[in-house]
Amino acid sequence: MTFSDRMLKIDRRIIFLMIGLCTLLPLLYPVGLPIKISPEVRGVYDHIESLPEGSVFLLSIDFDPASKPELYPQAISLLRHAFRKNLRVMTMTLWVSGTGMADQIVTQVAKEMGKEYGKDYAFLGWSPGGQAVIINMGQDLYSAFPSDYGGKPTKGLPVLEGVRNLKDVTYMVSLGAGRPGVEEWYVFGKDKYKFEMGGGCTGVMAPGLYPLLRSGQINGLIGGLRGAAEYESLIGQKGKAVAGMDAQSATHVAIIVLVIMCNLIYFSQRRALRAQGQLG
Amino acid sequence: MDATIFGAWVATGLTLLIFSFLYKDTPFFKFAEHLYVGVSIGYTIVKTYDTVILHLIIKPIVENGEFALLIPVAIGMLMLTRYVPKAAWMSRYAFAFIVGMGSGLAIPRTISSFILKQIEDTVRPLLSIAGPDGLTFSMNLLNPASNINAVIILLGVSSVLFYFFFSIEHSGTGKAVARTGIMFLMISFGAGFGYTVMARMSLLIGRLSDLIEFSDASYGRPTIWLVVAVAAALVLLSRRSSAGSQEKQ
Repeated sequence: MTFSDRMLKIDRRIIFLMIGLCTLLPLLYPVGLPIKISPEVRGVYDHIESLPEGSVFLLSIDFDPASKPELYPQAISLLRHAFRKNLRVMTMTLWVSGTGMADQIVTQVAKEMGKEYGKDYAFLGWSPGGQAVIINMGQDLYSAFPSDYGGKPTKGLPVLEGVRNLKDVTYMVSLGAGRPGVEEWYVFGKDKYKFEMGGGCTGVMAPGLYPLLRSGQINGLIGGLRGAAEYESLIGQKGKAVAGMDAQSATHVAIIVLVIMCNLIYFSQRRALRAQGQLG
Repeated sequence: MDATIFGAWVATGLTLLIFSFLYKDTPFFKFAEHLYVGVSIGYTIVKTYDTVILHLIIKPIVENGEFALLIPVAIGMLMLTRYVPKAAWMSRYAFAFIVGMGSGLAIPRTISSFILKQIEDTVRPLLSIAGPDGLTFSMNLLNPASNINAVIILLGVSSVLFYFFFSIEHSGTGKAVARTGIMFLMISFGAGFGYTVMARMSLLIGRLSDLIEFSDASYGRPTIWLVVAVAAALVLLSRRSSAGSQEKQ
């Protein structure tokens, strides 16, 4: 058996082990590779930065624990930025399975930033209907969410003073891991009720959302763990995403090397077979 | 035991049980997989019952006398008639309502957002007017609004659309255009696959970061103890299965 035969029949568990080590070692011994800020992430950051104090910022945490590694750092960074700018933060989720996690994220960051529930922020929780909730919020916020996550009536919460519907929202970001998510917020929210909007998503979804970004339908996009790391760098509070960037780079290099190796071996075998006259 | 520490042990244990699939399909993986599905469904049912049935239906009706809510409740209940063969026809009214309302809401909005807005962006001017008497052509590939990018997008959209146009044979010039379309599609699939790899690696990074965090003494080092336990269990399982296959022979 030749070297290329052995490589093509390599036990897949060796590849798993290699990828595992490429991920684990940089996490244990970080190198601190530089992080370049992309214009799409800067778009969200700059817009929040430009908002005056007291503006209404709506963050829709549209993911569940399955997408936590990518979107959790994005949510944490956005909330830290919004609280630091003293915006009135309104949070909610369109994913029933993410309700508990969303509450934990909002409560944790608010506590860290010394913000008061009801006055500085509110978590509206989940309401059934997906896109119908967005339309309902566009007509009357209090009909979509008569009470918040804790069961308190939303009417009368100081943080929602002057907010009747989505038209009163200054800026909105949806952190989506699927449907309903960024696209639904654009189609049934921004396009109809004309508020400014940015997005955050998992890496898998990012290529599908770039057309919305290019056409100016959304003004920024935070894509995957990489986007989260960029946002963490922008706000100057490095966290889990930045810590994962070395590992991400190392695994990408490993995968590129594997792809090149496989192609080289495949073509060398094909050439050998052709030389032996076994291939047409 | 503190809830955080208990949570760390459960999270570590379940992560390792799921990771055992990388070695081979084991009963540990099956257990963790079924538990995940069960917990997710259970959580969804409880949250839906609490939010929808209690807070959005029962409370407003009982406390505020909002009896109009009984109309959507009745329409929703019609769905359940599918389980009674003789009355199953009644469920069609509920489905008709949902399909009609859903289409009515989605069609105009989707056309506006994804077709009209995207066409508007695709047919950007290929040349820019600079000053009162000149036309320019910007070659900056990094600027999404540059003229060269407008040309690339126009070429890409036209050639891919042509590739999916099967009414004429793809030969001669048509073949070249269709091939260009395939190239654009391949680049798009490559970008999609690259992002998918990045996303999957991010999930692995997330789990490994937690495992590193939970190897701390403040949690009772669940990662270390449970890695040893799962590895031992895998060795035992492997020996048992090889002994079983020898007995069969």
